[in-house]
Amino acid sequence: MSESNDWLTRLMDAWLSGPMLSIGLTLAAFIAAQWLFATFRRPLWMPPVLIAAVILAVIVWVSGIGLSEYQQGARWLTVLLGPATVALGVPLYQQMHHIRALWRPILFTLPVAATLAAGYALGIAWLMGASPLVLASLAPKSVTAPIAIGIANELGGSVSLTLGGLLITGVLASLFVEWLTRWLKITDERIIGFTLGLNGHAIATARAFEISPMAGAFSSLGMGLTGVFTALFLPLAFMLVS
Amino acid sequence: MVWLWGFFVLVLFFLLGEAIRVVAGLPISGGVIGMVLVTLKLMIRGDITDSLAAASQGLISVLVLLITPGVVGVFFIADQFSGQWLIVAVALVLGTLLSVATTLWLMSAVAKADEKGAGHE
Repeated sequence: MSESNDWLTRLMDAWLSGPMLSIGLTLAAFIAAQWLFATFRRPLWMPPVLIAAVILAVIVWVSGIGLSEYQQGARWLTVLLGPATVALGVPLYQQMHHIRALWRPILFTLPVAATLAAGYALGIAWLMGASPLVLASLAPKSVTAPIAIGIANELGGSVSLTLGGLLITGVLASLFVEWLTRWLKITDERIIGFTLGLNGHAIATARAFEISPMAGAFSSLGMGLTGVFTALFLPLAFMLVS
Repeated sequence: MVWLWGFFVLVLFFLLGEAIRVVAGLPISGGVIGMVLVTLKLMIRGDITDSLAAASQGLISVLVLLITPGVVGVFFIADQFSGQWLIVAVALVLGTLLSVATTLWLMSAVAKADEKGAGHE
């Protein structure tokens, strides 16, 4: 009994000494999520990213690997988000003729919608009596992660709370865009993509590329513009209000 | 290995974006600056190499995979909401629903008005 336990401990030590277990688990969960998503006829309320995350959360929790250990190993994958963000410039260039055709609605919608993306949540939290720390942490919730961390620091928020709000916002934005476009019968992929990126940063942009390259390009544009706009104006607005 | 050169270009632009972020003290991430720079470079050049197209397509097709490890954290953050989890939950759900609805409505309305305006010109 103790001998088999010893063997198991040594195996886990070996597996956890490098990042390969985290990478293997992430790949397995991703592939399983794609398969489950197709098998259950593409449920709107359960996108692949959420299925994969639930599978991984259960494994990480039950096996006792722990979140920080898992995420440390998975950094070998997540570090690629840097060049992947740069890569979004390619579809942006390839779809430039579509973007040019829609530049007026984009420029008009951006400042209003990006302000409201932060404003609604802040207003609701403020009405419900949230603490200044929570308000400062929620403010950059619609912005892509590296930008949001910078804003949260500047406003005096909690980075971990910001990241949590950010992730939830990204998943919710993907869901709500699906529901509302069906309900409102909006089929223009340029508008769907732009709304995804503006509200739900990289998580929703990943969803947009599942729809089409055009939706993905507009989502990249929405994500980039919202990030730049919010980074410049939110600290200023926050200073004026408080 | 047609994508290797393209991947190198993406990494270079990321590093360049980081350099600009640090030197100019911008609050924007190096990745986003790199994205803007790549777009500008391609617009000036007027076309794109097969290698860069292949590398970016490869990375974008696994974007969900790269994001997943971060999303796993959602299930472990309940205690970080410092006793205000109900406020945070309502603000996130309702706030995101409202802002998605507003963006969709506004963008559709302005795009429609713009098309009509262009038709008259």
